[in-house]
Amino acid sequence: MKDVILELKHITQEFPGVKALDDVSFEIERGKIHALVGENGAGKSTLIKVLAGINVHYQGEVIFEGKKFSAKTPSDAQKYGISVVHQELKLSETLTVAENIFLGNLKMKRGLVDWSGMKKEAREMLDNLGVDLDVDELVEHLSVAKKQVVEICKAMNHNCKVLVMDEPSAVLTDKELDILFHIIDQLVAKGVTIIYISHKMDEIFKLCHNATVLRDGKHIKTMPMKDVTRQQLISLMVGRDMGMEYPKEIIELGENILEVQHLTRPGVFEDISFTLRRGEVLGVSGLVGAGRTEIMQAILGIDKVSGGTILYKGKPMANRNFKQAIQNGIGLVPEDRKLQGLVQIFSVGENICMVNRECTIKGGIISHKLTTEKAKEYVAKLNVATPGIDTEVQYLSGGNQQKVVIAKWLLQDSEVFILDEPTRGIDVGAKSEIYRLINRLVKDGKSVIMISSELPEIIGMSDRVIVIHEGRLAGELNRDELSQEKIMSLCV
Amino acid sequence: MGSKSTAIHKNKSFLDMMAKFSKDYMSLVAILLIGIVFSFASPYFFSSSNFANILLQSSTVGIVAIGQALLMVTGQVDLSLGYNVCLTGCIFAYTMKFLSWNPYLAIIVALAIGFVIGSANGFLVAYCKLPAFIATLGLQNICKGLSKIITNATPIANLPDEVAFLGRGYVGAIPVCVIIMVLLYILFSFIMRKTRFGRNIYAVGGGREAAFYSGINTKMMIFLSFAIAGLLAAVSGVVLTSRLNSAAITNGNLYEFDAYISAAIGGISLTGGKGKIVGAMFGSIFLITFFNGMTMLNVDPFWQDVLKGVVLIIAIGLDVFRNRRRH
Repeated sequence: MKDVILELKHITQEFPGVKALDDVSFEIERGKIHALVGENGAGKSTLIKVLAGINVHYQGEVIFEGKKFSAKTPSDAQKYGISVVHQELKLSETLTVAENIFLGNLKMKRGLVDWSGMKKEAREMLDNLGVDLDVDELVEHLSVAKKQVVEICKAMNHNCKVLVMDEPSAVLTDKELDILFHIIDQLVAKGVTIIYISHKMDEIFKLCHNATVLRDGKHIKTMPMKDVTRQQLISLMVGRDMGMEYPKEIIELGENILEVQHLTRPGVFEDISFTLRRGEVLGVSGLVGAGRTEIMQAILGIDKVSGGTILYKGKPMANRNFKQAIQNGIGLVPEDRKLQGLVQIFSVGENICMVNRECTIKGGIISHKLTTEKAKEYVAKLNVATPGIDTEVQYLSGGNQQKVVIAKWLLQDSEVFILDEPTRGIDVGAKSEIYRLINRLVKDGKSVIMISSELPEIIGMSDRVIVIHEGRLAGELNRDELSQEKIMSLCV
Repeated sequence: MGSKSTAIHKNKSFLDMMAKFSKDYMSLVAILLIGIVFSFASPYFFSSSNFANILLQSSTVGIVAIGQALLMVTGQVDLSLGYNVCLTGCIFAYTMKFLSWNPYLAIIVALAIGFVIGSANGFLVAYCKLPAFIATLGLQNICKGLSKIITNATPIANLPDEVAFLGRGYVGAIPVCVIIMVLLYILFSFIMRKTRFGRNIYAVGGGREAAFYSGINTKMMIFLSFAIAGLLAAVSGVVLTSRLNSAAITNGNLYEFDAYISAAIGGISLTGGKGKIVGAMFGSIFLITFFNGMTMLNVDPFWQDVLKGVVLIIAIGLDVFRNRRRH
C-alpha cells in the first residue's frame, strides 16, 4: 500500500500565450526521494512555484496529507510543511548562520530575541546532519555548499515534511556533492519527503526512488526508477514531433570563416576548438551554465583568455577586443534581449543605428535624414512590425524586438552572427520568423552560431552541433547524426 | 465623413504637439507662467534691467547645469561641481593676483584644473567602480579644503581689469556671461544631438548593457562626462569670479544642487538616457526667476530655502509620475 503525502490533481497553469502546466496529475510517496525531470521550459519551475505558494492562480487541486493545500504565500506553504531550496539561495548574506536558520521565525524569550537558545538549537540541527559549521559565522563567508546546508536547516526549522530541491547540485563540486547526498540520506531517514530536480542523470539514478517526467507542461509519466533505463528516461524527456516548426533550408557551405583552437579561460572553459564555415548554422548546445555564453564572449574579445588562438578568415585575431571583433564583422545578439540587446527607451531607428553609426554620419555629424533612411530600410527588410521608426522599442513584441537587434548587426554588415538564445521568450509564430531570418542570413553568405537550450530548435536549425559540458567540448555532431537523445547524453 | 475625420485628426495632432512641446519644454512654460504672475504681483519685476539681471545670475549656474545634465543623462551625478567652481575661481584669482600670471594663462590653468577634478571623479566612478555619490563627495571635500588653503579663507578681490569683461562686460544690452552660457548650450545641444559621442552618452544612460553589447566604450563615456562636467564647472568658476570681482570660499556654494534641480526641472530624466540639454538652461533661469520674484515680493529668504525644497520635490515628482504612467 502506497503512503501518499502529496497528490496533484489536474493542475493547469496558464500565462499569457503559454500553458506552462497542462492538466498535470501525479502522486508523491511519503519518505521517498522523487525526481522531477524535463527539459528547460518543461514546467518544472512552474510546478515548484505552485507547491511553494508563489503561483496561486492555477486550476486543479493539490492534496497534502489528505487535505486540500491552499497556500497563498511561501510562508503559508511552510506552515503546511512544504519548503523549497531554490537554485538561487535566498539567505541574508550579512547575518550569521544561526540567525539565518531562524529567519522569519526568531526564538523569543521575555519579548527579546533568545540568542543563546537559537544558537544551541542551530548547533544541534547541524550536528544531526553531520555538518561542521560555526553558527556565529556570517553567511557571506560560506561556500555555496555550506550555504545550501544553512538553507536546508532553515527549511527543517519550519517543521518541513516535504523538501523541494531545485537543481541543488548545479553549483556544487563533486566533493560537496557527497555532503549533499549524505544530508539527503539523513533527512530521508527522519521521514522527510524530497522532491529532487536535476538535469544530471547520474545523480537521479543514484539517489531517487521515483521519477516524474514533464514535457511542454504536460505530465508524461511517473514511475519507480527501477523500471526505467537512462536512455528511456531521456527519450521520455525529449521525445516530441518536430514537424515543420523548423523551416531549415540546406545550402552549400563555403570556406572556413572562423577557426577556434584550444581556447582556454581557467575555471570557465578549457581547450575549446571548433570551426565555422561560410553559410553554416552551428548549434551550440549544453546546459545553462556550461560555459556557452562565456566562450562566445571570449571570441568577441569581451573576456580575456589565457590560451588558444582564433583564426578569422584564415588570419589570427591578435590583441582582441570587442570593438575590433565588431569591425572584423562578428556580431552578437545577446542572451538578454531587454537589457543587453536594446536600449528600451530609445526609438526603433536609434537602436538600429547604434552599432554602425558611420553610415549615418555625414561631414562629421549625425544626419537625421540618413538615420531615418537606414532605419526604414531595415525595418522593411526584416519585416519588423512597428507603428513607426520613432516608436520606442519597449512597445514592440519580443519577436519584433529581436528583429531590431538583428537589424543592428545587419546594418553593420556583420558576417558572423552569434545568436545567444535567439528565441527565448518569443511566441511560436514569431519564432519561425526568426528561423526564416536565420535561413536568409546564411543564404546571403553569412554564418551563424546559435546557442540554444531548446534541443528541438538546435536540431531543427543547425548544420552541425557542438555540445559544451562543464566548460569542455563534449562532442560534435553533424546534421545527419542529430537526435535529442544523443545531444542530451552529451549534455549530462 | 472623410473631412470630419481629417479635422479630428488635425485637432488631435495639434493637441499632441502642444502636449509634446509642453513636456519637452515644461521649464520654458513654467518660466512664462511665473513671469506673468510676478509681473502682476510686483511693480519692479517687469523691467529689462531685471530681466538682464535674472539672466546674468542664471549664467553661472546654467553653465554648471550643462555638466550636471550631461551626467544625469549617463545616469550619474557630481556633488563636487559647486566646490570645483569655487576652487578653480580661487586658483584663477590667486595666480593673477599673487603670482602675477598673465590672465589668459590663469584662465587656461583654472580650466585645466577643473578638467582634472572632473577626470578624477570619472576615473573613480568609471574605472574604480566607486558610487558617484561617494567619489564626488570626496572630491567635494578635497576642493573645499584646497580652496580654503589657497585663499586662507579670505576673499581675493580686485582682479586685473583684463578679465572684467567676462563677468561684467556687455555686448550691446546683453551680458557677456549670458552669451557664454548660450553659446555653450548651443554647442552642447549640438554635440548631444548630432555627434557620435553625444548619442553614445544617451545610449549609456538609456541602457548601459545594451550600449556595451553594441560596442560602445561605456566606461570611457562615463569618464568623459565627468571630465567635461569638471571643465564646465571651471568655466563657471572663472566667469563667476570675474563677475563678483572676487574669489571667496562661498563662491559656487551649492551650485551642484542648483544645477541638479535646474536639469531636473528642465526635463532631464533622473533615470538617465532622456532629456534635452537645453532644458537645463531654462531650468536654471526658472530657478533664478523664482527667487528673484520672491525677493521682489519681500518673501523672507529663510522661507525661500523652504520653497526651493518644495520646487525640487515637485520637479522630481513630476518626472517620477511621468515615468510611472508609461508602464
